[in-house]
Amino acid sequence: MEIADLPICTSHRAKLLAAGYSSLAALSAADPPRLALDLNIEIPEAEDILKIAVCANKFKGADGPSSVIKGAQNAWDMLSDEQSRKHINTGSGDLNNILGGGIHCKEVTEIGGVPGIGKTQLGIQLAINVQIPVECGGLGGKSVYIDTEGSFMVERVYQIAEGCISDILEYFPHYQNKAPSGQEKLKPESFLADIYYFRICSYTEQIAVINYLEKFLGEHKDVRIVIIDSVTFHFRQDFDDMALRTRVLSGLSLKLMKLAKTYNLAVVLLNQVTTKFTEGSFQLTLALGDSWSHSCTNRLILYWDGNLRYAYLDKSPSLPAVSAPYAVTGKGVRDAVSSNRKRARVM
Amino acid sequence: MRPAAATHPSNSSSHSQQEPRAANPLLLLPSSRAAKLSLGCPILDRLLSGGLPAASVTEIAGESASGKTQLCLQLALVAPLSPMSSSCLFLHSDLPFPLRRLRGLAPKSRPDLLDHVLVAAAHSTSDLLSLLSRAQHLLTHPNDSPRRLPIRLILLDSIASLFRADFDASPADLRRRSALFFRISAKLKELAHRHQCVVVVTNQVVDVVEGETGNTVEWSSGRRVSPALGLAWANCVNTRLFLTRDADGPNGCSRRRMKVAFAPHLPERACEFAIRRDGVFGVEPSER
Repeated sequence: MEIADLPICTSHRAKLLAAGYSSLAALSAADPPRLALDLNIEIPEAEDILKIAVCANKFKGADGPSSVIKGAQNAWDMLSDEQSRKHINTGSGDLNNILGGGIHCKEVTEIGGVPGIGKTQLGIQLAINVQIPVECGGLGGKSVYIDTEGSFMVERVYQIAEGCISDILEYFPHYQNKAPSGQEKLKPESFLADIYYFRICSYTEQIAVINYLEKFLGEHKDVRIVIIDSVTFHFRQDFDDMALRTRVLSGLSLKLMKLAKTYNLAVVLLNQVTTKFTEGSFQLTLALGDSWSHSCTNRLILYWDGNLRYAYLDKSPSLPAVSAPYAVTGKGVRDAVSSNRKRARVM
Repeated sequence: MRPAAATHPSNSSSHSQQEPRAANPLLLLPSSRAAKLSLGCPILDRLLSGGLPAASVTEIAGESASGKTQLCLQLALVAPLSPMSSSCLFLHSDLPFPLRRLRGLAPKSRPDLLDHVLVAAAHSTSDLLSLLSRAQHLLTHPNDSPRRLPIRLILLDSIASLFRADFDASPADLRRRSALFFRISAKLKELAHRHQCVVVVTNQVVDVVEGETGNTVEWSSGRRVSPALGLAWANCVNTRLFLTRDADGPNGCSRRRMKVAFAPHLPERACEFAIRRDGVFGVEPSER
């Protein structure tokens, strides 16, 4: 849209063009007093012209010829979008800090570690924590849990849900009284009922479920997290052709990234650890090979240091690579006790 | 299965014919609480908060004479009497089958318990895989004999001895070996899930030579040991129980411990136990 097309009176239009305002961009740089002076009109009139110009600009931004690809966003919008976005609490404050607030929606996060380090625990914790009500600082969403290994133990999920509820009531003691619906809502049973659980027994089923997710998420818009525990297990058998495996896996990860973006949800992939022979020594590394490591936005590695569990942010587009201790308690994933003590001493 | 099937998931597996359906964990809760197989001792059951979970693979690792086989035999005899009332499929790779020990354990008044123990020998990994697919057939088409209880317990004693002979330490063999672990484990887990079975696999131990391998490490009989088959196999089990023994004390009797090395539903904890003529029993700390 040009000045000539602006829905303003003809005399103003003529004055604008005569004063040298040939494009909307030139107009957008002007302020009302300046415009009033240039056109020799009253200030309120100038304000009206500017308002109309701003509206026209917005309209143009939506689907005008200047936006090359439909739906393209500028970085400023993305930044404000990102700042207003909520994160999924991991249960441990230290872990949230290194992740920049928690697990991010619209992103794929990979979590890896040796058996028994707490990958499944973190996965279950996230499936529960995503359901923390909005009034208590949560997302109030639902979760999809895709279990490939059979480690999803319902009795443990129940315990973690109970732990989560007792923490909510500790921080928001009035929540139960304030919300009339709270009475029935904050029950471990309802937390369990809001997890959609898929048990997968082969990689073909895994591919099928991920393909089906598109439809499923379209029908269940309140899902805020998809957890796959683990993405690896069925891909470490029956694949003689490693190139094929890489292609299948990258196809899966592309699909998951798209789902994360479209439905504004977090995707968390749990991965196993394997030993790799490099430069004459065996080193621990995440499974599925080097090309797979490109398929996640964030990568968190869990490891033991002595008797303490640590998490290391191995890959992130915006955050530094640091590590933090955490603990797995009866209530679920929490801060490591020793780090609390350290913080108390500093304060 | 040919990997090419990956592009046509809907017609490659009989179980994915219809749309995948999400389960509600709330509905699974009562059955998961009930479906625990008791070890036949209240103290050990308390350690495992009720017993061994169904639909899950439990590994019992320990050095020789640590009580692994004894525990398996005990489970085989407890299973028909437990609320699960199941027969058991005992796959053994250590020859011969310890029949005398089984008979010794069975109460004299109930010789019929042995009817519910089905025994098969697995001599190699391919043997085991074919046994497992036959087991799948047996489980989906229950036996006609009305006296036989349904099989809901699968014991494999031991996984390590299957891999002792056939494999070199070359990279190609190691890769082949770990692919086999995942295949066997996937099969066991599928059986466990589809038929709500308790699956128990015993494993041997190896001495720890290098420093950090990522695998579970425990002290037993004064040695630093890890379960055999390395990190790859550790990824294949849901729960790992470690049977250890203290180095012999001055009075000659050594303390045995059962430790939960990792489990999705249990914290890391341990409990002492003793092997007696009539079975494996937990020991209260105060009873020492």
